[in-house]
Amino acid sequence: MDTLTAKQLNALFSSGEASAVEITKQALAKIDKLNLKLSAFLSVFEERSLKSAALLDEKKQKGEPLGRLAGVPIAIKDNIAIEGEITSCASKFLENYRSPYDATVVRLLEEDGAILIGKTNMDEFAMGASGTHSAFSPTRNPWDLDCVPGGSSSGSAAAVSGRLCPLSLGSDTGGSIRQPAAFTGIVGFKPTYGRISRYGLVAFASSFDQIGPFAQTVEDVALVMEAVSRHCERDSTSLNLPPNGFDAQFGQSLKGTKIGIPWGFLEDLKGEARQNFEKSVATLTELGAETVDVDLSLLKYGIGIYYILTSAEASTNLARYDGIRYGKRAKEASSLEEIYEMSRQEGFGFEVKNRIMLGTYVLSGGFKDAYYSKAQKVRALIIQQIRRAFENCNLFAFPTTAGTAFTLDGMRDPLDEYLQDLYTVAAPIAGLPAISVPSGFSTEKKPFGLQLVGPQLHDASVLGAARAFEQATRFGEKIPGGFS
Amino acid sequence: MSDIRYDQWEPVIGLEVHVQLNTKTKLFSRAPHRFGDEPNQNIGIVDTGQPGSLPVLNKAAVKKAVQFGLAIGAEISRYSTFDRKSYFYPDNPRNFQITQFFHPIVRGGTITCDVEGHTKHFKVDRAHLEDDTGMLKHFSSFAGIDYNRAGIPLIEVVSEPVMRSPKDATAYATTLRAIMQYLDVSDCNMAEGSLRIDVNVSVRPKNEKTLRPKVEVKNMNSFYNMELAIEAEVRRQIQAYTLHPGKEFADAIEPGTYRFDQGAKKTIRMRRKEEAHDYRYFHEPDLVPLQLGEEYIELLGNSLPELPHERYLRYMADLKLPADSAAILVGDKFTSDFYEEALAIARNATSLCNWIITEFSGRLKEKGQTLKESGLTSEYVGHLVKMIEDKVITGRIAKQVAGEMLEDPSKDPREIVKANPNYQPLEDDSVIEPIVDAILEKNGQSIIDYKAGRTKALAFLVGQVMKETKGKASPDIVNKLILKKIEEK
Amino acid sequence: MASDQTIDIPHLMGLCRISLSEEEQEVIKTNLDKMLSYLSQIDEVDVEGILPCTHVLETIVNVMEDDEEGPLLAHDTFLNNAPDQVGGMIRVPPVIQFEE
Repeated sequence: MDTLTAKQLNALFSSGEASAVEITKQALAKIDKLNLKLSAFLSVFEERSLKSAALLDEKKQKGEPLGRLAGVPIAIKDNIAIEGEITSCASKFLENYRSPYDATVVRLLEEDGAILIGKTNMDEFAMGASGTHSAFSPTRNPWDLDCVPGGSSSGSAAAVSGRLCPLSLGSDTGGSIRQPAAFTGIVGFKPTYGRISRYGLVAFASSFDQIGPFAQTVEDVALVMEAVSRHCERDSTSLNLPPNGFDAQFGQSLKGTKIGIPWGFLEDLKGEARQNFEKSVATLTELGAETVDVDLSLLKYGIGIYYILTSAEASTNLARYDGIRYGKRAKEASSLEEIYEMSRQEGFGFEVKNRIMLGTYVLSGGFKDAYYSKAQKVRALIIQQIRRAFENCNLFAFPTTAGTAFTLDGMRDPLDEYLQDLYTVAAPIAGLPAISVPSGFSTEKKPFGLQLVGPQLHDASVLGAARAFEQATRFGEKIPGGFS
Repeated sequence: MSDIRYDQWEPVIGLEVHVQLNTKTKLFSRAPHRFGDEPNQNIGIVDTGQPGSLPVLNKAAVKKAVQFGLAIGAEISRYSTFDRKSYFYPDNPRNFQITQFFHPIVRGGTITCDVEGHTKHFKVDRAHLEDDTGMLKHFSSFAGIDYNRAGIPLIEVVSEPVMRSPKDATAYATTLRAIMQYLDVSDCNMAEGSLRIDVNVSVRPKNEKTLRPKVEVKNMNSFYNMELAIEAEVRRQIQAYTLHPGKEFADAIEPGTYRFDQGAKKTIRMRRKEEAHDYRYFHEPDLVPLQLGEEYIELLGNSLPELPHERYLRYMADLKLPADSAAILVGDKFTSDFYEEALAIARNATSLCNWIITEFSGRLKEKGQTLKESGLTSEYVGHLVKMIEDKVITGRIAKQVAGEMLEDPSKDPREIVKANPNYQPLEDDSVIEPIVDAILEKNGQSIIDYKAGRTKALAFLVGQVMKETKGKASPDIVNKLILKKIEEK
Repeated sequence: MASDQTIDIPHLMGLCRISLSEEEQEVIKTNLDKMLSYLSQIDEVDVEGILPCTHVLETIVNVMEDDEEGPLLAHDTFLNNAPDQVGGMIRVPPVIQFEE
């Protein structure tokens, strides 16, 4: 039962073959057994999940209508609010903070009958691409326990990859869902900006952040999207679109689909990563797609503007963590200024402080025009270039990452870790839907991911092409040793 | 300081007025907008800066801002946006305020008012929406923070530096407040904090055209104190320039933020750390732009109520009230509405006006009450004046009746008069005549004086008779009788 | 070029209210120098006549809500997370109002 997909589990539950309580108990048992190895979960909802499961079983007994995720356990990244539960963002600052409300996605999942099984580990405040920046413990990759699962949604990826639960939610600002999905051999999807409500997602960079699902299959991803992509009145940037049609292009051939590949931008991709990408492109061609070369040369400034803009937004989004209303307040602080300075010093990890300082700098007097304002304009230019490229193709294909998962101590130079986002920043810069699907393994048996990116609102096309690729290759069916 | 030639200098004054809009809920959330409740009872996820919270704009606040802009003849921005203004302070739940720095919703506009008999047109630079902070309450060994006020919608109105005297400033502020009241977009209650004023003051020699450095004065809790503060600051700056003629302007007057010390009647520089600010303004990514359509703006423009200046002109044209009386009446909407309601009964516009702005107003001031607080009703005040018009009572008696009304506003003046025999007018000639005879008997000199052309003597005689009749005799009758008797003599 | 400026770390610490240790200041200064050097490559991009991107979803405008009360944050729930409170208010050390 523990390696079944969400769709399969829901079928078991709906047919009566397994109760929600049984399914939940089994997930809890597996988490109990294996979480120590991975540090995927920061908190596990033993009592709460069993209670929800029992209520769900009752509902089923009574013949009440149930959603398509009913009975399916799902893990939630610890930067998404669940009322009454700790939302720590893997930070000492919030390690005792209990959210006083539910994020919209949480409410929608529960309404659909999904069972919230726990909160997952992450890079602190979503800043990182490894999973080593958690204030509590680093998360490990089920495929190689000495390696990172990627980040910032490290725990959510590891949990699904290690089959501790079939589904999880992560958040993606520069690649924080897709990169860990690639590193851990699962599917990770970042929808069009605005497709999923951000109400209840602890903000990192507001104009980039999106919540998205991790799953074993593209089909499962579509199921989650159906449940959570509704218009939200509490999020001014929420799109008002019907929450269905994500599976509309499943089973369609890729014949006639034009896939744009920015070969120029990818010229530094080498080694096994390049080989894997070229193989994936060949597969797409075999499936009937036509590949065209597209000019996305401005993406070479992608990382630069991404760090300027996200750090700037983050520096203000994290200003509220000041030890006044909630969170850590430094015990030795004896004045207001000390409360601010000492609480933030003690509460934030190094990477967070680094980015806040950078963000403050690029917004501060004299430098704002050179950095922040300029970056906003370059962002506009990149979006323009992307739009022009989409005139000649339906989707882009990129490798998700330039390599496989690195070791836990492998990133000494922070700039190196920043460059992890090289291929993933394009989508959040332009608010585009993007997915990573498993595309094979390295000689060290570590997973690779293929990334497909579509124009805004073309989530169904992205999912459709991803599914075609997945069905033809089935890399996602492989389970890491020791986790089946 | 006899060397200082204050008259050679000209004050240059600008006002930044923050007005709380009277919406039911806050600017970016649906937490209630209420005053005076226990701390932290009217709070929500957004206005306490909870992690994961997001702002959503209140449409009533936008409407009220547009109505205000239209009322002052300003340009309503077809495209406006919101920005983050960063600074750390405990009453600020996110440590950034959401305001409109780059594209405010209202630009330009004019506030027309009456300043000591002259009509002046003061230019407004801009007006924009922003959220209010919570309140910091200071105690000796700690401070407490209440977020009830955090998130309440403010409209900040910034004038051009076009005022030249404290009276200008008061007239501007009074009119601005009246406009807000007439539009019903704010209570504008300075005591409750729904109207707050910061004054920017600089001075320059009368013939100079350029502006010198300015000082911002905060924390004035009444228009009167604002005038005193402006006077004090103007004097301080003139003294500074005069005593230090060689210094750079900024070194001489030390620009910055000052507060007004009521006791010492001085402005004192505040040197809080927050002063040297880098607000790092940038576009608020959680809010989307406002693109206001022509129809929406036109609709609001066509449904504006009568504004203070319009009413002022109407009072002078239709009711023939003198300019300064009209100005006082329209300056407060409650008073003005009260007046119009009472007028429907009283019918004498001038008399009623005087009763309200002089008689009652004077006594209320002594009691420390506003007209609203007094509990007086327009109906009863109307009837009081009507009784004078109908000669049911004399002016003098009316003053006594007014006194009783103030003590118990629930009493109908007609009942008060009926119940008190001393208030009944005396119109019986047969009763008045002997009194007149007696007074004339005693005051032969006055008769001679009057016949010699001194009209004051008549008034004296009338006064004596009135005194004798305890004010009840009808002055007309007394007058008539005295003249008749004098003729006969 | 903007990257030629020396970064005033103490000033930035003051703006964002974090009291970094001496060691951290060193490391962050190095990091920032490196980052800014890398970021300065955007200097070469010609953005003449380009409007800044402030929103990726250009079609969403005029999002507003009705002026109707919604669910409150309960007083007790709010204070549950508070580090220090008194009389229903958040408590902090005395705040210097005016320094003259």
